[in-house]
Amino acid sequence: MSDVSSPKAPGTADHLMFRILPHLVLFAVLLLIWEMAVRTGIITSIIIPAPSKIIGAIWELYVTKGTIYRHFFITFTEAVVGFAIGAGVAVTLAVCSALWDPFKRYVSPYAIVLNVTPGIALTPIIIAWFGYGMGSKIALAAVISFFPIFVNTLTGLIQRDEDREELFRSIGATDAQIFRKLRVPAALPLLFAGLKIGLTTALIGAVVAEFAQATDGVGVLMSRFSFQLNMAASLATLLSMTVIGLILFYSMEFLDDRIVFWRRESRGAAASRAKARAWKSRMGQ
Amino acid sequence: MNVMASQPSKTDSVVGAQGLGKTFGGGAVVALEDASFDIRPGSFVSLVGPSGCGKSTLLRLIAGLIERTSGNLQVHGKEVTDPRTDVGMMFQKATLLDWRTAVENVLLPTEVSRAVTKEDQKNAAELLRMVGLKDFLFAFPSQLSGGMQQRVALARLLQTGADVLLLDEPFGALDEFTRERLNVELMRIVKEVQATTLFVTHNIAEAIFLADQVFVMTPRPGRIAKIVDVPFDRPRPLSIQTSPEFNTLVAEVRDILGEDH
Repeated sequence: MSDVSSPKAPGTADHLMFRILPHLVLFAVLLLIWEMAVRTGIITSIIIPAPSKIIGAIWELYVTKGTIYRHFFITFTEAVVGFAIGAGVAVTLAVCSALWDPFKRYVSPYAIVLNVTPGIALTPIIIAWFGYGMGSKIALAAVISFFPIFVNTLTGLIQRDEDREELFRSIGATDAQIFRKLRVPAALPLLFAGLKIGLTTALIGAVVAEFAQATDGVGVLMSRFSFQLNMAASLATLLSMTVIGLILFYSMEFLDDRIVFWRRESRGAAASRAKARAWKSRMGQ
Repeated sequence: MNVMASQPSKTDSVVGAQGLGKTFGGGAVVALEDASFDIRPGSFVSLVGPSGCGKSTLLRLIAGLIERTSGNLQVHGKEVTDPRTDVGMMFQKATLLDWRTAVENVLLPTEVSRAVTKEDQKNAAELLRMVGLKDFLFAFPSQLSGGMQQRVALARLLQTGADVLLLDEPFGALDEFTRERLNVELMRIVKEVQATTLFVTHNIAEAIFLADQVFVMTPRPGRIAKIVDVPFDRPRPLSIQTSPEFNTLVAEVRDILGEDH
Protein backbone atom coordinates (compact mmCIF):
# COMPACT_ATOMS: atom_id res chain seq x y z
CA MET A 1 0.00 0.00 0.00
CA SER A 2 1.34 3.40 -0.88
CA ASP A 3 1.56 5.04 2.45
CA VAL A 4 0.85 8.59 1.38
CA SER A 5 -0.42 10.65 4.25
CA SER A 6 -2.99 12.82 2.58
CA PRO A 7 -2.32 16.47 3.22
CA LYS A 8 -5.20 18.26 4.90
CA ALA A 9 -7.57 19.55 2.28
CA PRO A 10 -7.30 23.31 2.17
CA GLY A 11 -10.08 25.01 4.08
CA THR A 12 -10.91 22.03 6.32
CA ALA A 13 -10.91 24.20 9.42
CA ASP A 14 -13.17 26.72 7.72
CA HIS A 15 -15.55 23.94 6.79
CA LEU A 16 -15.73 22.79 10.40
CA MET A 17 -16.49 26.34 11.54
CA PHE A 18 -19.14 26.56 8.84
CA ARG A 19 -20.83 23.42 10.11
CA ILE A 20 -20.71 24.37 13.78
CA LEU A 21 -21.49 28.06 13.48
CA PRO A 22 -25.21 27.70 12.61
CA HIS A 23 -25.69 25.44 15.65
CA LEU A 24 -24.00 27.95 17.92
CA VAL A 25 -26.04 30.82 16.52
CA LEU A 26 -29.30 28.90 16.89
CA PHE A 27 -28.43 27.89 20.46
CA ALA A 28 -27.51 31.48 21.38
CA VAL A 29 -30.76 32.80 19.88
CA LEU A 30 -32.84 30.24 21.82
CA LEU A 31 -31.07 31.15 25.06
CA LEU A 32 -31.62 34.83 24.36
CA ILE A 33 -35.37 34.35 23.74
CA TRP A 34 -35.60 32.25 26.91
CA GLU A 35 -33.73 34.87 28.92
CA MET A 36 -35.96 37.67 27.59
CA ALA A 37 -39.13 35.65 28.24
CA VAL A 38 -38.18 35.24 31.89
CA ARG A 39 -37.02 38.84 32.35
CA THR A 40 -40.19 40.28 30.85
CA GLY A 41 -42.27 37.97 33.07
CA ILE A 42 -43.84 35.88 30.31
CA ILE A 43 -42.42 32.84 32.13
CA THR A 44 -42.36 32.78 35.93
CA SER A 45 -38.80 32.38 37.11
CA ILE A 46 -39.95 30.11 39.95
CA ILE A 47 -40.99 27.51 37.37
CA ILE A 48 -38.34 28.03 34.74
CA PRO A 49 -35.36 30.13 35.76
CA ALA A 50 -33.49 32.25 33.26
CA PRO A 51 -30.43 30.75 31.58
CA SER A 52 -28.25 33.30 33.36
CA LYS A 53 -29.52 31.94 36.71
CA ILE A 54 -28.71 28.37 35.65
CA ILE A 55 -25.22 29.42 34.59
CA GLY A 56 -24.86 31.09 37.99
CA ALA A 57 -25.94 27.88 39.71
CA ILE A 58 -23.42 25.86 37.65
CA TRP A 59 -20.72 28.33 38.65
CA GLU A 60 -21.63 27.90 42.30
CA LEU A 61 -21.82 24.08 42.13
CA TYR A 62 -18.56 23.65 40.27
CA VAL A 63 -16.43 26.65 41.25
CA THR A 64 -17.35 28.70 44.32
CA LYS A 65 -18.76 25.87 46.46
CA GLY A 66 -17.63 22.78 44.54
CA THR A 67 -20.44 20.69 46.09
CA ILE A 68 -21.08 18.74 42.89
CA TYR A 69 -17.81 16.77 42.68
CA ARG A 70 -18.42 14.29 45.45
CA HIS A 71 -21.94 13.54 44.23
CA PHE A 72 -20.80 13.41 40.64
CA PHE A 73 -18.09 10.89 41.52
CA ILE A 74 -20.49 8.73 43.56
CA THR A 75 -23.15 8.50 40.86
CA PHE A 76 -20.51 7.91 38.21
CA THR A 77 -19.03 5.06 40.25
CA GLU A 78 -22.43 3.50 40.94
CA ALA A 79 -23.30 3.50 37.25
CA VAL A 80 -19.94 2.10 36.12
CA VAL A 81 -19.70 -0.61 38.79
CA GLY A 82 -23.35 -1.59 38.30
CA PHE A 83 -22.79 -1.73 34.56
CA ALA A 84 -19.66 -3.85 34.96
CA ILE A 85 -21.53 -6.38 37.11
CA GLY A 86 -24.58 -6.44 34.83
CA ALA A 87 -22.40 -6.76 31.73
CA GLY A 88 -20.25 -9.49 33.28
CA VAL A 89 -23.25 -11.62 34.19
CA ALA A 90 -25.01 -10.91 30.89
CA VAL A 91 -22.02 -11.83 28.71
CA THR A 92 -21.27 -14.96 30.75
CA LEU A 93 -24.86 -16.20 30.52
CA ALA A 94 -25.03 -15.32 26.81
CA VAL A 95 -21.84 -17.27 26.06
CA CYS A 96 -23.12 -20.28 28.04
CA SER A 97 -26.46 -20.08 26.24
CA ALA A 98 -24.76 -19.91 22.85
CA LEU A 99 -22.50 -22.87 23.62
CA TRP A 100 -25.08 -25.10 25.18
CA ASP A 101 -28.63 -25.23 23.90
CA PRO A 102 -30.34 -26.69 27.01
CA PHE A 103 -28.83 -23.85 29.04
CA LYS A 104 -30.43 -21.34 26.70
CA ARG A 105 -33.79 -23.11 26.97
CA TYR A 106 -33.76 -22.92 30.77
CA VAL A 107 -32.30 -19.42 31.13
CA SER A 108 -34.34 -17.60 28.48
CA PRO A 109 -37.67 -17.62 30.34
CA TYR A 110 -36.08 -15.93 33.37
CA ALA A 111 -34.36 -13.37 31.18
CA ILE A 112 -37.65 -12.57 29.48
CA VAL A 113 -39.56 -12.32 32.78
CA LEU A 114 -36.85 -10.01 34.08
CA ASN A 115 -37.16 -7.90 30.96
CA VAL A 116 -40.95 -7.49 30.95
CA THR A 117 -40.96 -6.61 34.65
CA PRO A 118 -40.25 -2.88 34.82
CA GLY A 119 -36.76 -2.90 36.30
CA ILE A 120 -37.26 0.43 38.02
CA ALA A 121 -40.20 -1.06 39.97
CA LEU A 122 -37.65 -3.19 41.79
CA THR A 123 -36.24 -0.05 43.43
CA PRO A 124 -37.98 -0.33 46.85
CA ILE A 125 -37.17 -4.03 47.10
CA ILE A 126 -33.55 -3.50 46.17
CA ILE A 127 -33.21 -0.68 48.69
CA ALA A 128 -34.72 -2.93 51.36
CA TRP A 129 -32.13 -5.57 50.48
CA PHE A 130 -29.05 -3.46 49.99
CA GLY A 131 -29.66 -0.41 52.15
CA TYR A 132 -29.36 3.32 51.60
CA GLY A 133 -25.75 3.35 50.49
CA MET A 134 -24.12 2.80 47.12
CA GLY A 135 -24.90 -0.93 47.19
CA SER A 136 -28.54 -0.57 46.26
CA LYS A 137 -27.73 1.89 43.44
CA ILE A 138 -25.14 -0.46 42.01
CA ALA A 139 -27.58 -3.36 42.27
CA LEU A 140 -30.35 -1.54 40.40
CA ALA A 141 -27.91 -0.34 37.74
CA ALA A 142 -26.72 -3.94 37.29
CA VAL A 143 -30.24 -5.36 37.08
CA ILE A 144 -31.54 -2.99 34.45
CA SER A 145 -28.40 -2.99 32.33
CA PHE A 146 -28.37 -6.79 32.22
CA PHE A 147 -31.05 -7.47 29.66
CA PRO A 148 -30.03 -5.37 26.64
CA ILE A 149 -26.49 -6.72 26.93
CA PHE A 150 -27.63 -10.31 27.32
CA VAL A 151 -29.99 -10.20 24.34
CA ASN A 152 -27.57 -8.44 22.01
CA THR A 153 -24.66 -10.71 22.87
CA LEU A 154 -26.73 -13.86 22.49
CA THR A 155 -28.19 -12.68 19.17
CA GLY A 156 -24.68 -11.97 17.94
CA LEU A 157 -23.33 -15.33 19.03
CA ILE A 158 -26.11 -17.50 17.62
CA GLN A 159 -26.25 -15.87 14.18
CA ARG A 160 -24.88 -18.43 11.74
CA ASP A 161 -22.66 -17.65 8.79
CA GLU A 162 -23.03 -20.87 6.76
CA ASP A 163 -20.44 -19.93 4.12
CA ARG A 164 -17.68 -19.12 6.56
CA GLU A 165 -18.49 -22.10 8.76
CA GLU A 166 -18.12 -24.35 5.71
CA LEU A 167 -14.74 -22.75 5.04
CA PHE A 168 -13.67 -23.46 8.63
CA ARG A 169 -14.83 -27.06 8.36
CA SER A 170 -13.00 -27.51 5.05
CA ILE A 171 -9.72 -26.56 6.72
CA GLY A 172 -10.42 -29.01 9.53
CA ALA A 173 -11.30 -26.52 12.28
CA THR A 174 -12.84 -27.81 15.50
CA ASP A 175 -16.10 -26.43 16.92
CA ALA A 176 -14.10 -24.62 19.59
CA GLN A 177 -11.95 -22.96 16.93
CA ILE A 178 -15.02 -21.95 14.94
CA PHE A 179 -16.47 -20.40 18.09
CA ARG A 180 -13.31 -18.53 19.02
CA LYS A 181 -12.15 -17.42 15.59
CA LEU A 182 -15.48 -16.89 13.83
CA ARG A 183 -18.52 -16.64 16.05
CA VAL A 184 -17.03 -14.47 18.80
CA PRO A 185 -15.50 -11.80 16.53
CA ALA A 186 -18.65 -11.82 14.38
CA ALA A 187 -20.72 -11.14 17.53
CA LEU A 188 -18.62 -8.16 18.67
CA PRO A 189 -20.56 -5.45 16.78
CA LEU A 190 -23.82 -6.56 18.42
CA LEU A 191 -22.12 -7.00 21.80
CA PHE A 192 -20.97 -3.39 21.66
CA ALA A 193 -24.43 -2.19 20.61
CA GLY A 194 -25.72 -3.93 23.75
CA LEU A 195 -22.98 -2.46 25.95
CA LYS A 196 -23.79 1.06 24.78
CA ILE A 197 -27.47 0.66 25.64
CA GLY A 198 -26.59 -1.08 28.92
CA LEU A 199 -24.26 1.68 30.04
CA THR A 200 -26.92 4.34 29.49
CA THR A 201 -29.55 2.30 31.35
CA ALA A 202 -27.10 1.70 34.21
CA LEU A 203 -26.97 5.46 34.76
CA ILE A 204 -30.78 5.59 34.82
CA GLY A 205 -30.78 2.82 37.44
CA ALA A 206 -28.26 4.61 39.66
CA VAL A 207 -30.10 7.95 39.52
CA VAL A 208 -33.57 6.46 40.08
CA ALA A 209 -32.32 4.55 43.12
CA GLU A 210 -30.83 7.79 44.43
CA PHE A 211 -34.15 9.57 43.98
CA ALA A 212 -35.86 6.86 46.01
CA GLN A 213 -33.55 6.78 49.00
CA ALA A 214 -29.99 7.91 49.39
CA THR A 215 -27.64 10.29 51.14
CA ASP A 216 -25.23 11.04 48.32
CA GLY A 217 -25.21 11.31 44.54
CA VAL A 218 -26.46 13.72 41.90
CA GLY A 219 -29.96 12.24 42.18
CA VAL A 220 -30.15 13.20 45.86
CA LEU A 221 -28.70 16.60 45.17
CA MET A 222 -31.29 17.24 42.51
CA SER A 223 -34.27 16.14 44.68
CA ARG A 224 -32.99 18.36 47.43
CA PHE A 225 -32.80 21.43 45.18
CA SER A 226 -36.25 20.68 43.76
CA PHE A 227 -37.79 20.46 47.24
CA GLN A 228 -36.27 23.84 48.00
CA LEU A 229 -37.78 25.09 44.70
CA ASN A 230 -34.26 26.02 43.67
CA MET A 231 -34.95 25.28 40.01
CA ALA A 232 -31.74 26.83 38.73
CA ALA A 233 -29.55 24.54 40.86
CA SER A 234 -31.82 21.61 40.07
CA LEU A 235 -31.38 22.11 36.33
CA ALA A 236 -27.66 22.66 36.78
CA THR A 237 -27.51 19.25 38.49
CA LEU A 238 -29.51 17.70 35.65
CA LEU A 239 -26.84 18.98 33.28
CA SER A 240 -24.24 17.12 35.38
CA MET A 241 -26.13 13.91 34.73
CA THR A 242 -26.00 14.68 31.04
CA VAL A 243 -22.24 15.11 31.38
CA ILE A 244 -21.93 11.73 33.12
CA GLY A 245 -24.02 10.16 30.38
CA LEU A 246 -21.86 11.71 27.68
CA ILE A 247 -18.62 10.58 29.30
CA LEU A 248 -19.91 7.02 29.62
CA PHE A 249 -21.34 6.88 26.12
CA TYR A 250 -18.29 8.26 24.39
CA SER A 251 -15.87 6.04 26.33
CA MET A 252 -17.80 3.06 25.02
CA GLU A 253 -17.93 4.59 21.55
CA PHE A 254 -14.15 4.99 21.70
CA LEU A 255 -13.65 1.31 22.59
CA ASP A 256 -16.19 0.24 19.96
CA ASP A 257 -14.29 2.24 17.34
CA ARG A 258 -11.04 0.49 18.13
CA ILE A 259 -12.18 -3.03 18.88
CA VAL A 260 -14.79 -3.34 16.13
CA PHE A 261 -12.60 -1.29 13.78
CA TRP A 262 -13.61 -3.24 10.66
CA ARG A 263 -17.09 -1.75 10.81
CA ARG A 264 -15.69 1.79 10.62
CA GLU A 265 -14.30 2.78 7.29
CA SER A 266 -12.38 5.59 8.92
CA ARG A 267 -10.52 3.16 11.22
CA GLY A 268 -9.41 0.72 8.52
CA ALA A 269 -6.33 2.61 7.35
CA ALA A 270 -5.03 3.19 10.88
CA ALA A 271 -5.60 -0.47 11.79
CA SER A 272 -3.73 -1.54 8.62
CA ARG A 273 -0.74 0.61 9.51
CA ALA A 274 -0.66 -0.77 13.06
CA LYS A 275 -0.77 -4.34 11.71
CA ALA A 276 2.03 -3.57 9.25
CA ARG A 277 4.24 -2.15 12.02
CA ALA A 278 3.61 -5.15 14.29
CA TRP A 279 4.41 -7.52 11.42
CA LYS A 280 7.65 -5.78 10.55
CA SER A 281 8.93 -5.73 14.10
CA ARG A 282 8.08 -9.42 14.48
CA MET A 283 9.76 -10.40 11.22
CA GLY A 284 12.79 -8.29 12.11
CA GLN A 285 12.80 -6.32 8.89
CA MET B 1 -26.23 -45.17 -17.72
CA ASN B 2 -22.67 -46.21 -17.18
CA VAL B 3 -19.92 -43.85 -18.18
CA MET B 4 -16.32 -44.97 -18.14
CA ALA B 5 -13.41 -42.64 -18.29
CA SER B 6 -10.18 -43.78 -19.84
CA GLN B 7 -8.83 -45.82 -16.94
CA PRO B 8 -5.26 -44.99 -16.03
CA SER B 9 -3.44 -47.35 -13.68
CA LYS B 10 -4.51 -47.08 -10.03
CA THR B 11 -1.23 -45.68 -8.78
CA ASP B 12 -1.53 -42.86 -11.27
CA SER B 13 -4.78 -41.57 -9.74
CA VAL B 14 -4.97 -38.72 -7.23
CA VAL B 15 -8.74 -38.69 -6.91
CA GLY B 16 -10.59 -41.87 -7.72
CA ALA B 17 -14.30 -42.68 -7.57
CA GLN B 18 -16.26 -45.84 -8.31
CA GLY B 19 -20.04 -45.73 -8.50
CA LEU B 20 -20.05 -42.68 -6.23
CA GLY B 21 -23.53 -41.45 -5.27
CA LYS B 22 -25.20 -38.98 -2.93
CA THR B 23 -28.87 -38.60 -2.09
CA PHE B 24 -30.54 -36.09 0.19
CA GLY B 25 -33.76 -36.34 2.18
CA GLY B 26 -33.46 -40.11 2.74
CA GLY B 27 -33.17 -40.87 -0.97
CA ALA B 28 -35.87 -38.44 -2.14
CA VAL B 29 -33.39 -36.23 -4.03
CA VAL B 30 -30.62 -37.84 -6.06
CA ALA B 31 -27.88 -35.22 -6.13
CA LEU B 32 -25.24 -37.43 -7.71
CA GLU B 33 -25.52 -40.88 -9.23
CA ASP B 34 -22.95 -43.49 -10.20
CA ALA B 35 -19.90 -41.30 -10.76
CA SER B 36 -16.72 -43.14 -11.71
CA PHE B 37 -13.44 -41.50 -12.67
CA ASP B 38 -9.73 -41.28 -12.02
CA ILE B 39 -7.93 -37.95 -11.98
CA ARG B 40 -4.23 -37.86 -12.89
CA PRO B 41 -1.71 -36.01 -10.71
CA GLY B 42 -1.26 -32.40 -11.71
CA SER B 43 -4.17 -32.38 -14.10
CA PHE B 44 -6.89 -29.75 -14.28
CA VAL B 45 -10.47 -30.98 -14.39
CA SER B 46 -13.47 -28.77 -15.04
CA LEU B 47 -16.94 -29.80 -13.93
CA VAL B 48 -19.51 -28.12 -16.13
CA GLY B 49 -23.27 -28.37 -16.20
CA PRO B 50 -26.51 -26.59 -15.25
CA SER B 51 -27.78 -26.15 -11.68
CA GLY B 52 -28.70 -29.41 -10.00
CA CYS B 53 -26.26 -31.54 -12.02
CA GLY B 54 -24.35 -32.48 -8.87
CA LYS B 55 -21.11 -30.60 -9.56
CA SER B 56 -21.02 -28.84 -6.20
CA THR B 57 -22.11 -32.05 -4.49
CA LEU B 58 -19.20 -33.91 -6.08
CA LEU B 59 -16.78 -31.24 -4.90
CA ARG B 60 -18.13 -31.31 -1.34
CA LEU B 61 -17.87 -35.09 -1.29
CA ILE B 62 -14.20 -34.90 -2.26
CA ALA B 63 -13.64 -32.18 0.34
CA GLY B 64 -15.10 -34.50 2.96
CA LEU B 65 -17.74 -31.90 3.89
CA ILE B 66 -20.63 -34.28 3.19
CA GLU B 67 -20.87 -38.06 3.39
CA ARG B 68 -21.48 -40.25 0.34
CA THR B 69 -24.47 -42.57 0.30
CA SER B 70 -23.03 -45.12 -2.14
CA GLY B 71 -19.85 -46.13 -3.96
CA ASN B 72 -16.22 -45.41 -3.14
CA LEU B 73 -14.05 -42.33 -3.19
CA GLN B 74 -10.30 -42.05 -2.56
CA VAL B 75 -7.84 -39.21 -2.47
CA HIS B 76 -4.21 -40.34 -2.68
CA GLY B 77 -5.47 -43.90 -2.35
CA LYS B 78 -7.16 -43.27 1.03
CA GLU B 79 -10.92 -43.34 1.49
CA VAL B 80 -12.41 -39.89 2.12
CA THR B 81 -14.21 -39.68 5.46
CA ASP B 82 -13.54 -36.17 6.82
CA PRO B 83 -12.04 -32.88 5.68
CA ARG B 84 -8.28 -33.41 5.36
CA THR B 85 -5.16 -31.38 4.93
CA ASP B 86 -4.21 -32.67 1.47
CA VAL B 87 -7.48 -31.32 0.03
CA GLY B 88 -8.31 -27.60 -0.02
CA MET B 89 -11.45 -25.83 -1.13
CA MET B 90 -12.33 -22.39 -2.43
CA PHE B 91 -15.85 -21.03 -2.71
CA GLN B 92 -17.80 -18.62 -4.89
CA LYS B 93 -17.79 -16.14 -2.03
CA ALA B 94 -14.36 -15.10 -0.78
CA THR B 95 -15.47 -15.89 2.81
CA LEU B 96 -12.68 -13.76 4.27
CA LEU B 97 -12.81 -12.71 7.91
CA ASP B 98 -13.45 -8.95 8.00
CA TRP B 99 -11.39 -8.43 11.15
CA ARG B 100 -8.24 -9.95 9.70
CA THR B 101 -5.76 -8.43 7.28
CA ALA B 102 -5.12 -10.19 3.99
CA VAL B 103 -2.05 -11.95 5.34
CA GLU B 104 -3.84 -12.95 8.57
CA ASN B 105 -6.65 -14.41 6.45
CA VAL B 106 -4.13 -16.40 4.45
CA LEU B 107 -2.63 -17.77 7.68
CA LEU B 108 -5.98 -19.04 8.99
CA PRO B 109 -5.62 -22.63 7.72
CA THR B 110 -2.18 -22.90 9.36
CA GLU B 111 -3.51 -21.41 12.57
CA VAL B 112 -6.26 -24.00 12.99
CA SER B 113 -3.81 -26.88 12.61
CA ARG B 114 -0.77 -25.71 14.58
CA ALA B 115 1.18 -22.74 15.98
CA VAL B 116 2.13 -20.24 13.28
CA THR B 117 5.89 -19.85 12.70
CA LYS B 118 7.90 -17.13 11.04
CA GLU B 119 8.33 -19.46 8.08
CA ASP B 120 4.55 -19.73 7.73
CA GLN B 121 4.31 -15.96 7.77
CA LYS B 122 6.95 -15.62 5.08
CA ASN B 123 5.16 -18.26 3.03
CA ALA B 124 1.83 -16.42 3.36
CA ALA B 125 3.42 -13.16 2.26
CA GLU B 126 5.04 -14.98 -0.68
CA LEU B 127 1.68 -16.46 -1.72
CA LEU B 128 0.06 -13.04 -1.66
CA ARG B 129 2.89 -11.87 -3.90
CA MET B 130 2.17 -14.80 -6.21
CA VAL B 131 -1.48 -13.82 -6.57
CA GLY B 132 -0.48 -10.22 -7.27
CA LEU B 133 -1.23 -8.64 -3.90
CA LYS B 134 2.23 -7.85 -2.58
CA ASP B 135 1.19 -4.29 -1.73
CA PHE B 136 -1.92 -5.38 0.14
CA LEU B 137 -0.61 -7.68 2.87
CA PHE B 138 -2.12 -5.57 5.63
CA ALA B 139 -5.31 -4.48 3.89
CA PHE B 140 -8.61 -5.53 5.43
CA PRO B 141 -11.21 -7.22 3.19
CA SER B 142 -13.41 -4.10 3.18
CA GLN B 143 -10.53 -2.21 1.55
CA LEU B 144 -10.24 -4.75 -1.30
CA SER B 145 -12.28 -5.17 -4.49
CA GLY B 146 -14.20 -8.38 -5.16
CA GLY B 147 -11.45 -9.68 -7.45
CA MET B 148 -8.75 -8.90 -4.90
CA GLN B 149 -10.74 -10.66 -2.19
CA GLN B 150 -10.86 -13.80 -4.33
CA ARG B 151 -7.10 -13.53 -4.84
CA VAL B 152 -6.68 -13.56 -1.06
CA ALA B 153 -8.98 -16.58 -0.87
CA LEU B 154 -6.81 -18.30 -3.50
CA ALA B 155 -3.65 -17.53 -1.52
CA ARG B 156 -5.37 -18.93 1.59
CA LEU B 157 -6.21 -22.09 -0.35
CA LEU B 158 -2.56 -22.48 -1.38
CA GLN B 159 -1.42 -21.84 2.20
CA THR B 160 -3.18 -25.06 3.25
CA GLY B 161 -0.42 -26.90 1.39
CA ALA B 162 -3.06 -29.15 -0.16
CA ASP B 163 -2.14 -30.64 -3.53
CA VAL B 164 -5.76 -31.28 -4.46
CA LEU B 165 -7.55 -27.98 -5.01
CA LEU B 166 -11.32 -27.81 -5.25
CA LEU B 167 -12.71 -24.58 -6.68
CA ASP B 168 -16.47 -24.04 -6.63
CA GLU B 169 -17.19 -21.29 -9.18
CA PRO B 170 -14.47 -19.21 -7.54
CA PHE B 171 -14.76 -16.24 -9.88
CA GLY B 172 -18.47 -16.63 -10.65
CA ALA B 173 -19.49 -13.45 -8.86
CA LEU B 174 -16.94 -11.27 -10.66
CA ASP B 175 -17.24 -9.31 -13.88
CA GLU B 176 -16.22 -10.91 -17.19
CA PHE B 177 -12.87 -9.11 -17.55
CA THR B 178 -11.71 -9.78 -14.00
CA ARG B 179 -12.78 -13.39 -14.29
CA GLU B 180 -10.83 -13.94 -17.51
CA ARG B 181 -7.70 -12.40 -16.05
CA LEU B 182 -7.97 -14.47 -12.87
CA ASN B 183 -8.53 -17.64 -14.91
CA VAL B 184 -5.27 -17.07 -16.77
CA GLU B 185 -3.45 -16.46 -13.49
CA LEU B 186 -5.07 -19.47 -11.88
CA MET B 187 -3.76 -21.67 -14.69
CA ARG B 188 -0.25 -20.33 -14.17
CA ILE B 189 -0.40 -20.69 -10.38
CA VAL B 190 -1.71 -24.27 -10.20
CA LYS B 191 1.02 -25.22 -12.70
CA GLU B 192 3.59 -23.53 -10.48
CA VAL B 193 2.50 -25.34 -7.31
CA GLN B 194 1.89 -28.57 -9.26
CA ALA B 195 -1.57 -29.07 -7.82
CA THR B 196 -4.34 -31.29 -9.08
CA THR B 197 -7.34 -29.04 -9.61
CA LEU B 198 -11.10 -29.56 -9.84
CA PHE B 199 -12.90 -26.47 -11.04
CA VAL B 200 -16.69 -26.07 -11.04
CA THR B 201 -18.28 -23.70 -13.54
CA HIS B 202 -21.44 -23.32 -15.59
CA ASN B 203 -19.56 -21.60 -18.40
CA ILE B 204 -18.64 -24.06 -21.17
CA ALA B 205 -15.86 -21.99 -22.77
CA GLU B 206 -14.28 -21.33 -19.36
CA ALA B 207 -14.44 -25.05 -18.53
CA ILE B 208 -12.63 -26.04 -21.73
CA PHE B 209 -10.14 -23.17 -21.68
CA LEU B 210 -8.82 -24.15 -18.25
CA ALA B 211 -8.90 -27.92 -18.26
CA ASP B 212 -7.17 -31.11 -19.42
CA GLN B 213 -10.45 -32.91 -18.91
CA VAL B 214 -14.02 -31.65 -18.79
CA PHE B 215 -16.60 -33.61 -16.81
CA VAL B 216 -19.85 -32.76 -18.56
CA MET B 217 -22.65 -33.17 -16.03
CA THR B 218 -26.42 -33.31 -16.46
CA PRO B 219 -29.21 -32.96 -13.87
CA ARG B 220 -32.13 -35.05 -12.57
CA PRO B 221 -30.44 -37.19 -11.46
CA GLY B 222 -27.05 -35.48 -11.27
CA ARG B 223 -24.44 -37.50 -13.11
CA ILE B 224 -21.35 -37.31 -15.28
CA ALA B 225 -22.68 -37.63 -18.83
CA LYS B 226 -19.28 -37.60 -20.53
CA ILE B 227 -15.63 -36.89 -19.87
CA VAL B 228 -14.16 -34.79 -22.68
CA ASP B 229 -10.37 -34.60 -23.14
CA VAL B 230 -8.92 -31.23 -24.07
CA PRO B 231 -5.79 -31.70 -26.22
CA PHE B 232 -4.11 -28.27 -25.82
CA ASP B 233 -1.03 -27.72 -23.66
CA ARG B 234 -1.38 -25.70 -20.47
CA PRO B 235 -0.94 -22.84 -19.76
CA ARG B 236 -2.71 -21.49 -22.82
CA PRO B 237 -3.19 -18.04 -24.28
CA LEU B 238 -6.67 -16.50 -24.20
CA SER B 239 -6.53 -16.36 -28.01
CA ILE B 240 -6.94 -20.13 -28.19
CA GLN B 241 -10.63 -19.56 -27.61
CA THR B 242 -11.08 -18.34 -31.17
CA SER B 243 -9.42 -21.40 -32.76
CA PRO B 244 -11.63 -23.87 -34.71
CA GLU B 245 -10.51 -26.84 -32.58
CA PHE B 246 -11.57 -25.02 -29.44
CA ASN B 247 -14.95 -24.23 -30.87
CA THR B 248 -15.48 -27.81 -32.02
CA LEU B 249 -15.03 -28.84 -28.37
CA VAL B 250 -17.47 -26.15 -27.22
CA ALA B 251 -20.02 -27.47 -29.72
CA GLU B 252 -19.43 -31.05 -28.53
CA VAL B 253 -20.02 -30.14 -24.88
CA ARG B 254 -23.03 -28.01 -25.72
CA ASP B 255 -24.44 -30.94 -27.68
CA ILE B 256 -24.13 -33.26 -24.67
CA LEU B 257 -25.81 -30.76 -22.40
CA GLY B 258 -28.60 -30.42 -24.96
CA GLU B 259 -31.53 -28.14 -24.40
CA ASP B 260 -30.75 -27.95 -20.69
CA HIS B 261 -28.04 -25.43 -21.21
